[in-house]
Amino acid sequence: MYRRINLLLMDFYKRPTWNCRLCSTAPRATDERDPRPFFFDQHVQKLLKTLTRVDYEKIFATRRDETPLKLPEFKFMTDEELAEAREEIGKKANRRIQMPPVVKIRSKEPKVLVKEPELQGYEETNLVFTDISFGKSNRNRIIVVRETNGTLRHANSNERHRMNQIYFPITGREMHTPRMFCNPYLKDLLEQGKFEFVLDRACLQFEPDDPEYHRVTKQVYSYVNKLRKFDALRSTRHFGPLVFQLAWENNIDSLLLELIESENMEEAGKLVRLYHKVQPDAKSRQETTENDLQLVKLYVELDSPDRYMLSGVIPKYEEMYKEKERLKRGIMKAHGLIDDEQEVQDQNEKSKT
Amino acid sequence: MAKWIFYSSKLIANCIKSTSIASNAITVGLLSPQALSLQSTRNTSFYIKRPAAQLWKSVTSVSNAGRRRGRGKGLVKARDLNQGQKIGHGKVGMLFPGLTTSVIQGEYPVQQRRLTQQEQENNSPKIQPLIKPKRFKLHPLKRGWSGGQPGGRTIGPPDSVDGDAFNGFESWILYAKPISVMTSTMGRSKRVRSMVITGNRKGLAGFAVVTGREFKPAVNLAKNRAGLRLMYIERYNDHTVLHDFFSQFGKTKVFVKQKQKGYGLKCHRVIRTCCEAIGIKDLHVKVEGSDNILTIVKAFFIGLLQQKTFEEMANEKKLHLVEMRKENNYFPTVLASPPVVRTSKEIPKNEILDFKQYVMNGKVALEKRKRDSPFSKLPSWQFHLRKQERLRNQDDVVIKLRAEYDDVCSFHVEKYPEARAPKWSKHGKKKEEEEVET
Repeated sequence: MYRRINLLLMDFYKRPTWNCRLCSTAPRATDERDPRPFFFDQHVQKLLKTLTRVDYEKIFATRRDETPLKLPEFKFMTDEELAEAREEIGKKANRRIQMPPVVKIRSKEPKVLVKEPELQGYEETNLVFTDISFGKSNRNRIIVVRETNGTLRHANSNERHRMNQIYFPITGREMHTPRMFCNPYLKDLLEQGKFEFVLDRACLQFEPDDPEYHRVTKQVYSYVNKLRKFDALRSTRHFGPLVFQLAWENNIDSLLLELIESENMEEAGKLVRLYHKVQPDAKSRQETTENDLQLVKLYVELDSPDRYMLSGVIPKYEEMYKEKERLKRGIMKAHGLIDDEQEVQDQNEKSKT
Repeated sequence: MAKWIFYSSKLIANCIKSTSIASNAITVGLLSPQALSLQSTRNTSFYIKRPAAQLWKSVTSVSNAGRRRGRGKGLVKARDLNQGQKIGHGKVGMLFPGLTTSVIQGEYPVQQRRLTQQEQENNSPKIQPLIKPKRFKLHPLKRGWSGGQPGGRTIGPPDSVDGDAFNGFESWILYAKPISVMTSTMGRSKRVRSMVITGNRKGLAGFAVVTGREFKPAVNLAKNRAGLRLMYIERYNDHTVLHDFFSQFGKTKVFVKQKQKGYGLKCHRVIRTCCEAIGIKDLHVKVEGSDNILTIVKAFFIGLLQQKTFEEMANEKKLHLVEMRKENNYFPTVLASPPVVRTSKEIPKNEILDFKQYVMNGKVALEKRKRDSPFSKLPSWQFHLRKQERLRNQDDVVIKLRAEYDDVCSFHVEKYPEARAPKWSKHGKKKEEEEVET
């Protein structure tokens, strides 16, 4: 009897749909919702960008991609020219950290156009017709397949990829999926901490609605989240999708913890706001407060799946913050910037509020 | 009666003796007839007739006239050939009565025989082995620039001055050569001139020239004096010069170019050694005119010391000096800013704003055009190029196939196993055969 139950359970666990815990508060239907409108929302984009932290040094850091180095260019510049160059580089940075879109996985079933059984057996192989006329993008190009049984259908994603790569090759994109996205190698790369490399190549190789792209990125994101190596992806174009994915899966706790521990309450507040945008049925969404700390506290109380971990950190942060404030006031007082009376007044005001 | 007994016993004894002799002779083979092999030997020779001293003299002596012409060089020197060996003792241990031992020990005469190993160890006399003079061998990396010349050899840091040690310093001999001067009283007097550069590879370096009587003291003095004449040389990011420059000393012209990391030192070996001492790692230098070592070093050092720092340049131009690197997507890094910056209206039209021209004072070095190879116009070269064209991507294809299929093979290989490139290496072929057998 027990053995049978065990076998049943094993079978149950092995199922691919088994991706969330029992009794978990995470909504089961995350995969069914379409993230596209949420991701392209203006506010969400803004929040994601601020959470990415635009650090020019990291964005324009030297990449070790075997290109030989060149001599630096030296230039004499006036103030205006320097400002112009900086503006230009700001634009470049924006282009560099433009996030790859997070969209739903595309449907596998290709649309059938006509079924003509009279053509059955006319050819021994499928015939693929590709529209290679000028001005069509790879996504909306018409590619159809005549099967041997006479069915005329749109090409499936694999065939589209092959045809597009044959007629309009993208440099760096391979015809077959590179081995580095398969598991012994992918695991090695993750252990070496080469997240950006893997994600960059995934962006190059796959379309954003490719199931393979989703598999690879999700594996990288979960690894980064598990080991809390968020700094490796900060200031790259992949940090936004990472945060979005975490918020989408109701899994922002470790990122929130990292932000609070690094005393970045403003960003923590932004993260919670993002969470509210992405998860409309969150309980803490109804309470409206402007204070970041209050917002985080409410989230921890009402929505956090791992409440105990976070609730321990917040009092520590508050204590630290108070200590810092006191030190700051002390320094100001020592420099003669604040009078004692003023201080008393301030304190009174504080106690009133 | 007694006489009879005596005779008979004598007879018996004789009989026994003769039979034993006969039996012994038979075993040795003395009684059987033998063909004698005659070997002609000459018991006198040139080497036996003359005493050793005379023989040695004939090999080792050169006439005075010959010696003056340099014939004495590389001659054999007389040495004791008996050194390291003793008569009667060799590799195989033998007992020679009368030579290595006394003839009679106790009551019995000693027999000649082979020694056992233990006896040999105990009895062998202590002979000093022949010591061959050991050749002094320098490590290949410390042998200097070329051949047996001292140029380019390292000789360690200078001696400490007043207790201050030169930590992290290293010295290089640039040259050490014999020179001769004619004096009125002594005639031709020989001396040694040496030039040494010392540096800590972090920007500090100095050099000195010393003329002395002997090789070693001259070099050492030059090394210590170089340590007293240190100069600090600014470097760009600790790896190259601040900017391109030209400098001249005497007839020697030096064109120095700043280079990127990983370029290396492509210059005259003397300048390469100077760069090593200073700590410059990437550089290109063209030396023109006289290639005297002293003038090259002086020209190079003058140029280095006359380099402008970025602050000086910015202050002179009253403009920001900005560095942009291709690998960092031309991100503008401000290297130096003046206190007051000019506006674009204040800059005259004919002012040089190009950094390279400004650094070279508006001059342009004439660079020789690289000529085509003489064979490039031959029809055979065109033929070769045509033949090579189809192989131009072969290496990349092999790498790609190895990444995809672990082997150089067609994508048909699952269906047709023969669609695989033949293995050329011995090992691979063997392995393949083994696989086929199993």
